[in-house]
Amino acid sequence: MTDTRAPLEAPEGTRDLLFEDARRLRSCEAAVGRVFGEAGYAEVVPPVIERSELFAEVASLRATDSTGRSLSLRADFTDQIARIAATRIKGTTPLKLWYRGPVVRDVAPGRIAPRERFQIGLELIGDASPNADVEVLSLAASAIEAVGIAADDVRISVGSTTYFAAVLAVAGTAPAIQAQLRDCIDRKDRAGTARLASSVADANARDALLFLASAEPQTQALSTARSLAPDEAAARAIDRLQAIVEAARARLGDRLEVDLGEVRGLGYYTGLVFNVYASGAPGPIGGGGRYDRLLARFGDERPAVGFSLDLDALAPLARSEGGR
Amino acid sequence: MNLTIALAKGRLLPEAVKLLARAGVLPAEDLAKTRQLVVDATDGAKLLILKDPDVPVYVERGVADLGIVGVDHIRESGCDVLEPLDLALGRCRLSLCAPGPKERPLEALPGRALRVATKYPALATKLLATKGLGIEVLRLQGSVELAPVVGLADAIVDLVETGRTLAENGLTERERLLDVSGRLIANRASWRLKMPAVQALIAAFGDPS
Repeated sequence: MTDTRAPLEAPEGTRDLLFEDARRLRSCEAAVGRVFGEAGYAEVVPPVIERSELFAEVASLRATDSTGRSLSLRADFTDQIARIAATRIKGTTPLKLWYRGPVVRDVAPGRIAPRERFQIGLELIGDASPNADVEVLSLAASAIEAVGIAADDVRISVGSTTYFAAVLAVAGTAPAIQAQLRDCIDRKDRAGTARLASSVADANARDALLFLASAEPQTQALSTARSLAPDEAAARAIDRLQAIVEAARARLGDRLEVDLGEVRGLGYYTGLVFNVYASGAPGPIGGGGRYDRLLARFGDERPAVGFSLDLDALAPLARSEGGR
Repeated sequence: MNLTIALAKGRLLPEAVKLLARAGVLPAEDLAKTRQLVVDATDGAKLLILKDPDVPVYVERGVADLGIVGVDHIRESGCDVLEPLDLALGRCRLSLCAPGPKERPLEALPGRALRVATKYPALATKLLATKGLGIEVLRLQGSVELAPVVGLADAIVDLVETGRTLAENGLTERERLLDVSGRLIANRASWRLKMPAVQALIAAFGDPS
């Protein structure tokens, strides 16, 4: 006899949010949304499916529709907002948008990143100034405050993809070695970085690679980075980051940390990148950065900067008096 | 300091304990004798005594802030952790080994893939992928060197320290795949949120590499 029951288990990497968990998620979402709204950002609701080609940087979950076209579940909001801004809202600058909803990625089950995450975030489009970067960093801090997480329990670490890329470029190694260097630096593996860097001819570039893999004291990180800058663009990137950090510190204080070796995240970032950490969560609970060339995919030259938070990572940390 | 440190209870443990003592972290009980799996230490530190392969998992998930474990287990786990210090503990290597003289080419019986027995299936698959061998990886829990002797496998991927166990089983080291040593690993969030305590420990360990 055939068993006519449906499979009982939900797909790996997903969760059912019941009762209190659901309430917490929604109240955090509401608290953060209020912060974004009060800061002058307007909500947009992008579709949950897109043409697969939109998600160039991430592994999306795909299906083929009846016309043979490949469609993907939303794998990244920023790609969608870039499409919408570039094709629908060209006239308004600066453009301030926020969004919320689930994001699905085709990650291997069992890894620390679940397949489905609930995100909330914003994008500031059309403002290339350091002020825009500071505004986004400040709003990330405000969003976390709004759910009732104490400032002491939060760190926002900032880096620069421009600087990182310049150092790797000057190291001038083969692509396979570059990938290994990225990996070693990402893991703060100084010994491994030193081994790989030993084949780099330029002494300054060797020092810069080791610096990226090290934990420089906060007071010195930017000045060391400046002195090791391999070219003019990298030096300018540090000057800009310094201006951003100085301005943002007024609002964020010691929550803000500089780590030029931490440039995880999607390949579309073109300058500032940052990750948000909170006590009680084992990895970043959100992050963002500047992506000045993403809208150009749709023929729009406007620069942009933004961030998102993982609500399902944030909600369990929220104090009840926070997200009402 | 309020750090939770995961220690691999294998061959690295005595050396890890010495290193911790140098940093002023003294367990309340003798780790070689106690049957406790969670041991308090000076300065509010807590030590977790775990099976080696579990150390990266505890650290990735943030249950432990730091861990001391061999790079073999870190890579096999695929866990996303920081590796700020090569402690140079228990240096050895992960190698491809097979019966017979060193010069003999590695060959499976006609019509089947080279069978490789190992405790590190993920790592062996990855490290052998570029070697141009058609392989089939068999996961074993221990006594890997027995597998080729009794015909379970054609070769093994295992840790080699002195090479004595290999010689006793008629095996030779054919290719060194990975240099292995004990590392200090750190959880990504702990690294940021407990930076002063983590840095103090790193400074006390020094950089032996």
